[in-house]
Amino acid sequence: MQEYFLLFIAAIFVNNIVLAQYLGNCPFIGTSKETSVAIGMGGAVVFVAVMAAAITWLVQEYLLAPLGLGFLQTLAFILVIASLVQFVEMFLKKMVPPLYKSLGIFLPLITTNCAVMGIALICQRNEFGFVKAVAFATASGLGFMLALVVLAGIREKLEIRRVPRAMRGTPVGLVMAGLMSLAFFAFKGMI
Amino acid sequence: MNKLWKEFSKGLWKDLPPFKLVLGLCPVLAVTSTAENGFGMGMAVIFVLTLSNLLVSLVRNLIPAKVRIACFIVIAASLVVAVELLMQAYVYPLYQQLGIFVPLIVVNCIILGRAEAFASKNPPLPAIADGLGMGIGFTMSLTFLGGLREFFGHGQLFGHHVAWAGFEPVSFMAEAPGAFVSLGLLLCAMNYFTNLQRKRKGLAPIDGPTHDCGSCGACGSK
Amino acid sequence: MKEMIKMMVVLSVICGLSGLTLAALKNATEARIEEQVLTYVQAPSLTQVLHDYDNNPIKDRKKFARPGAEDEITLFPAMKDGKLTGLAFEIFGKGYGGNIGVMVGFDTASGNLSGIGITTMKETPGIGARIAKHGFTSQFKGLSPGRARLKAHNGDIDAIAGATISSTGTVTAVQEAAKLFDALKPEIAKTWP
Repeated sequence: MQEYFLLFIAAIFVNNIVLAQYLGNCPFIGTSKETSVAIGMGGAVVFVAVMAAAITWLVQEYLLAPLGLGFLQTLAFILVIASLVQFVEMFLKKMVPPLYKSLGIFLPLITTNCAVMGIALICQRNEFGFVKAVAFATASGLGFMLALVVLAGIREKLEIRRVPRAMRGTPVGLVMAGLMSLAFFAFKGMI
Repeated sequence: MNKLWKEFSKGLWKDLPPFKLVLGLCPVLAVTSTAENGFGMGMAVIFVLTLSNLLVSLVRNLIPAKVRIACFIVIAASLVVAVELLMQAYVYPLYQQLGIFVPLIVVNCIILGRAEAFASKNPPLPAIADGLGMGIGFTMSLTFLGGLREFFGHGQLFGHHVAWAGFEPVSFMAEAPGAFVSLGLLLCAMNYFTNLQRKRKGLAPIDGPTHDCGSCGACGSK
Repeated sequence: MKEMIKMMVVLSVICGLSGLTLAALKNATEARIEEQVLTYVQAPSLTQVLHDYDNNPIKDRKKFARPGAEDEITLFPAMKDGKLTGLAFEIFGKGYGGNIGVMVGFDTASGNLSGIGITTMKETPGIGARIAKHGFTSQFKGLSPGRARLKAHNGDIDAIAGATISSTGTVTAVQEAAKLFDALKPEIAKTWP
């Protein structure tokens, strides 16, 4: 139990996937202009990351490893993730229209979100077991969502401030992300 | 010839990938703790980008429109696996340094973005020129940012000590926060110079490029 | 329907071609990759655990069948003037964050440990990761395998405070290595007289 608690704290705060591990920066900067959008994107990432981590783990364990095809990992993972995203999109559209309405537009963006693939790869490189991999993916996804929503909150406030023209938009967003990352540095001493 | 040069050179300044188009941010931030890592990453991207542009352009008329993204992904991913194998065989220390960011080249927006926006609509030669130009522009940007962070963070360049005596390294720059802040300030400087140029030509100032995921062709094409 | 078939054919052809190309590339680079991994992962700890040799242990490495198991193990010999003086091989123990790779070196004359080095591990930085530090690994140098146990088990090794699992994992790996070394002795004598 304690092990999983630590895993969660570490993945959300100490090794936050965006602020400490540099993964998923494109959507982090790209979809953090409004809080509602950020929540939608964050939710979609948590959802897909957990499913992708579970499926890629199974693919690696029962397909690639026994056949000695470990070197095709990258190819297999991206295909799994791309088809998973397509599948989830179709499924939600048919079965859960309300959820599709809120997450739908973000799903296509997730195929090229390196956070999802990154989480799956980190699980493999650290030789996590199945349950641990799923737990790690959940925690990392939540960490992504946390960072995204907080940054969106800050940037909404910035909208009504006078920012020098050259800093407007992405530059000031990046500087804010840097300051947040610095703040998250404080968690380093925790574990 | 002129047209080829135009396709090649646009990646070097006008559409400089990470700074002007704001594409592929993850590797830009992650591997630029030193100039050498930035350069190595850039080289891997040049390889994948040029060959994927060439292959996509060669098969562009054979692929049915509906599965084109899937085909692009397979082509890009195969090239990335090839890069992984070659890097392990010839530059193992660099491969260890770059870690999971080598396989993650496959989800770099630049690769799929250029395949979708350019290579799938142009013949092979311009596609190669475009890929090379963009790749070299990407490498230059990464090396530059890496050099900046390595200098301020460690007082070194490409692993050689270059700072003057009494220089205090700002280790903040070599860590994650420094990556975000220095990229932000760099973009700010680019915007400033763009507007300075426009002012000289008597044009109204514009806002810098806003970044959203749609700007990478592959996602926006849905 | 016709479009559907075309889509399937194109996708399968592309996948098939890339699979074949990559398999060929994998075959072509396999030997070099193994060499590189040995040079950058195993070699640094090899110099720690083997002493006084004039050959290249990586070049002279040889694979042996593991008694009682199906896999093979690679032995790195240390030789001086053509005579075998020491042997090292890598063995894995269970740590806190996955497997710990331990390179264990033996002095062939006395059968004592000539040293150990950690090749790969994912232990907690600052705690378990201290097994890779000199202070811990140097305790093994010159011990007879029987004494290479934790003090709690009547041995000579001080466990790292707060990292019992990592310390135990390393010691267990060393014990297993000693057993394997004994079992392989006849084979070794035949290969390197």
